[in-house]
Amino acid sequence: MIRSSFAYLSPLLLAAGLLSAAGPASPTPSAGTLNDMQAAYNGESNAHATYLTYAKKADEEGYAKAASLFRAAAKAEEIHAANHAKVINSLGAEPKAIIKAPEVKSTRENLQAALKGETYERDVMYPGFLVQARKEGKVDAIRSLNYAKTAEAEHARLYQEALNDLEGWKGQNTAFYVCPVCGYTSTTRPTEKCPSSFTPSSRFLTVS
Amino acid sequence: MPPIPAWTSLHPLIIHFPIGLLFVAPLFIVAAAFWRRHRESWSLGALALMGLGTLSLFFAVATGEAAGQLVERTPEITAAMERHEALAETGRVVFTLLTLAFATLILVPIVLKREPAAWVRRTVTLAFLLAYAGGIAQLTRVAHEGGRLVHEFGVRSIVASTGPEAATPGADAPGREAREGDDH
Repeated sequence: MIRSSFAYLSPLLLAAGLLSAAGPASPTPSAGTLNDMQAAYNGESNAHATYLTYAKKADEEGYAKAASLFRAAAKAEEIHAANHAKVINSLGAEPKAIIKAPEVKSTRENLQAALKGETYERDVMYPGFLVQARKEGKVDAIRSLNYAKTAEAEHARLYQEALNDLEGWKGQNTAFYVCPVCGYTSTTRPTEKCPSSFTPSSRFLTVS
Repeated sequence: MPPIPAWTSLHPLIIHFPIGLLFVAPLFIVAAAFWRRHRESWSLGALALMGLGTLSLFFAVATGEAAGQLVERTPEITAAMERHEALAETGRVVFTLLTLAFATLILVPIVLKREPAAWVRRTVTLAFLLAYAGGIAQLTRVAHEGGRLVHEFGVRSIVASTGPEAATPGADAPGREAREGDDH
């Protein structure tokens, strides 16, 4: 039993005991996640270029709010590509992207194509990549892929919203808010922090 | 030597410190009230527990944010995480104030070498314990929301999970070619 005169030392002993229960470190790297990160980097780089082209088209057609959304999404994709590139570098490789010339149609069709792409990334591509990264215990890759998946889900939701009321997306440019760390995109600035990366909302980028 | 866990893996370990330390601290205060001969030692023990518990609460919030960045989100999980985090941040403020208040109550008489009247000490101790009970209720809510994340939503830290055994699309999966073909 601890003597009462040394009772104030008991928390230190308790802390020392609990710290001895430390868990394992991260496992060794493998090529699977590296390939996935390269594919994701390529996809995000192309998405960035494509959305900027779609934004121009939306502006030409008078869909200013849709153009703002495309620019905000392009910024988010740029952030995802940069995050993925850092992970690829940390895995000992160079990020590579082949930027293809985007096929630009009407804004409605562009929104449908964008929605299809984001839905694929949200439901198929990133969940699969995350499974692999988790298997390999690649924490930085998991974080980067997770940031992208969460943001793509928001993009898909916003594209669907635009498609549901495209005429309402005409008029003036509208501000969208993009997290500079994870690319989370929102129509309103979060109250305190980004719900995905916990970045303070004061750091959010305003894109219109 | 055992491996050192990554910062992102520490949350499940760290959360037990504030729960353990801050729940035990009031027992030391009660012991100080009943064991007058060693009142100062018990009180200092309580203060040490509160100080370490509050410090660990800061670590718990920080490691929680790091772990949260790795959690695959659904709207439900995001909402539960936001609740958990908001409660934890409030708890951090509450216990910081409680610890500072208790430090003042304990250290001022020691520094001034003047004991307050017995009835003053009892009243202040009782009032403090009541306020502390509010802090404990807050901490319980934090822990409960954290427990819901794990047991209701299946959120696991990276160290404890290798993820579902679902098939992973390969680099040449048809779906991905279709996606890249869309140029998004």
